[in-house]
Amino acid sequence: MKILVVEDNERVARFVTRGLREAGHTVEHADNGRDGMFIAASEPYDVIVMDRMLPGNIDGLAIIEALRKAGNRTPILILSALNDVDERIRGLRSGGDDYLTKPFAFGELLARLDALGRRGANHGADRTLQVGDLRMDLLSRRVTRGSRTITLQPREFKLLEYLMRRANQVVTRTMLLEAVWDYNFDPQTNVVDVHISKLRQKIELDSERPLVRTVRNAGYMMTEHE
Amino acid sequence: MRSTAATWALSYVLLGLAALAAFAVPLWYAWNVTIFSGRQEILLDDAQRLTEVFNRDGVAALTAHINARVGMQIAGERTLLLTDSSYHRLAGNLAAWPRDIPSNSGTHAVWVDLAGQATRTLFAQSTLPGGYHLLVGRDLSRFVPLERRFTWGLLAAVTFLLLVGVTGAILMRRKVLTRVQDIRQSVSAIMQGDLRHRLPAAKSGDELDTLSQTLNGMLDHIEYLIRGISNVSNSIAHDLRTPLAELRSRLEELALTRPPPAETFAEIDAAVADVDRVMRIFNALLRLAEIDSGARRSGFVRVDAAAVAAEVVEFYEPAAEQKGVVFSFQAAGDAAVAGDPVLLAQAVSNLIDNSLKSVSERGAISVRVEQRADGAVQIAVADDGPGIADADKPKAAERFFRGDASRGSPGVGLGLSIVDAVAKLHGGVLQLLDNHPGLLAQMVLPVGPVRSAR
Repeated sequence: MKILVVEDNERVARFVTRGLREAGHTVEHADNGRDGMFIAASEPYDVIVMDRMLPGNIDGLAIIEALRKAGNRTPILILSALNDVDERIRGLRSGGDDYLTKPFAFGELLARLDALGRRGANHGADRTLQVGDLRMDLLSRRVTRGSRTITLQPREFKLLEYLMRRANQVVTRTMLLEAVWDYNFDPQTNVVDVHISKLRQKIELDSERPLVRTVRNAGYMMTEHE
Repeated sequence: MRSTAATWALSYVLLGLAALAAFAVPLWYAWNVTIFSGRQEILLDDAQRLTEVFNRDGVAALTAHINARVGMQIAGERTLLLTDSSYHRLAGNLAAWPRDIPSNSGTHAVWVDLAGQATRTLFAQSTLPGGYHLLVGRDLSRFVPLERRFTWGLLAAVTFLLLVGVTGAILMRRKVLTRVQDIRQSVSAIMQGDLRHRLPAAKSGDELDTLSQTLNGMLDHIEYLIRGISNVSNSIAHDLRTPLAELRSRLEELALTRPPPAETFAEIDAAVADVDRVMRIFNALLRLAEIDSGARRSGFVRVDAAAVAAEVVEFYEPAAEQKGVVFSFQAAGDAAVAGDPVLLAQAVSNLIDNSLKSVSERGAISVRVEQRADGAVQIAVADDGPGIADADKPKAAERFFRGDASRGSPGVGLGLSIVDAVAKLHGGVLQLLDNHPGLLAQMVLPVGPVRSAR
């Protein structure tokens, strides 16, 4: 993916660009709002990472609004030290597509950027989803693996659907919490992990190949590859 | 020093004097004008009558008449004098024509020698045909004692008023001043940092006591808040120090020992986990501040508390199952409240989280949402774990408080604080009760006023 990072803090910018390059992305960096705006407008990007507080007291949200007005539809992830629910809503309303609070784990950023970048590609009106021999029929809400039918609770179905739509992408626990349960707080116990392991028991019998992989320091990934 | 008490007392004295004057001045006026003019009329009448006697019967008859009247009357009551044209006495009880009497007619008050005594007398004089002069007078000194008594009485009243006023001012000033002084000293003591100091307040219930009691109430609240802040700062410092100390020693050790890469990376991961712990504390604190500010109230919507709780229960079910905990959920009645669904979910989640951590394997947790008889919605989470000691219950919802039972388990000690703050945001309370055994934590959310204010 081609990613533009607009971030004035040198250390954070270096950490992010390095990490993203390591993950195989092409990264461009702008350390102020004007350059960021200029670069974003002159070249197509898959995703933009936009810091909220930029030098000269420029609010990243103003740049996002300007880009949107100019017809730029590139998915934008907002980085911000402001964690109020209201701030998050304001960020998303200005035209941002996702909101991540500083400080963040790099795995979280990477997973969210992946999700944003592939959103258009994998979010159509599919009737069925398939990962390996696991199939999900979204209309009849039937899940099968090979010839075996799997019975799922509604919430398990939603969880599996989310994972299958993002097959081969890392999804973090926070992303799951937000998307599947609509919770934006951190439960203190590893409840999400328990849900995943319960889901695994249903979709991965001992004889079958595992489909949900745990990604260390990040979250989970559904894939048919080893 | 200007004193309010003295000013007030002085004002009251002046007011009293004014009232006294308002009483005495008309009286004095009535006395002087009404009585005096009445007396004048009597004198003139008298003179008129004597003149008529003279006109009818001549000077001899008048002389006889006057002599008869002078002989009959009580000494000094009436002064009569008849003279010829050259002011020689013909009859009457006055030795000679007084020199000070003006010649014009009418009444005049003069001093005359009456039976060897200087007496102020009011005279009416008239000139009769044939040059005779007639003088009819009345002794004024009869009323002097009365007037004197009146004056003395007035003076006494004024003196009494002044005396009482001044004494009252002094006493009042001393009393109020002493108490104001007391209050001032207490306040300076408090300002110098002795927050436990309180204003002296007797039970008399007068204004100063009421004021003192109100101020004491305010001081209680300030002390509570300040203690809360200092507790929180202490706790933050303490709770942050632990992971930061670990982090520091980890990094320092890495720098010193330079272990092989595998070990180094493991240590770095652990360091990141330490930082995450610090961040979790900060996030919880920020969330608390956000709830406390009340800003979230603007986003209140109609929420079915039972549905919210049911979702959280469902969310925790696998975790409870994994621990072998019997997990039950019940809902009864209309549980609609005006509230923030995410915060309510977080509160219920924190309660279940706490219970899940405290119960032993094969323990039991039950969640109940119901509408109470008074209409309030109650969300109760009960467990059969060790519970909270009675002594700790009031403190359990304080920030960073960790009971002995939870000392060893993970968490930052803010879970119940958040539940408490959420309950308060919704106008309700968090109650921590004994479940015999275990903890019964219930959020009671009032419905009526909040719903109508929506």
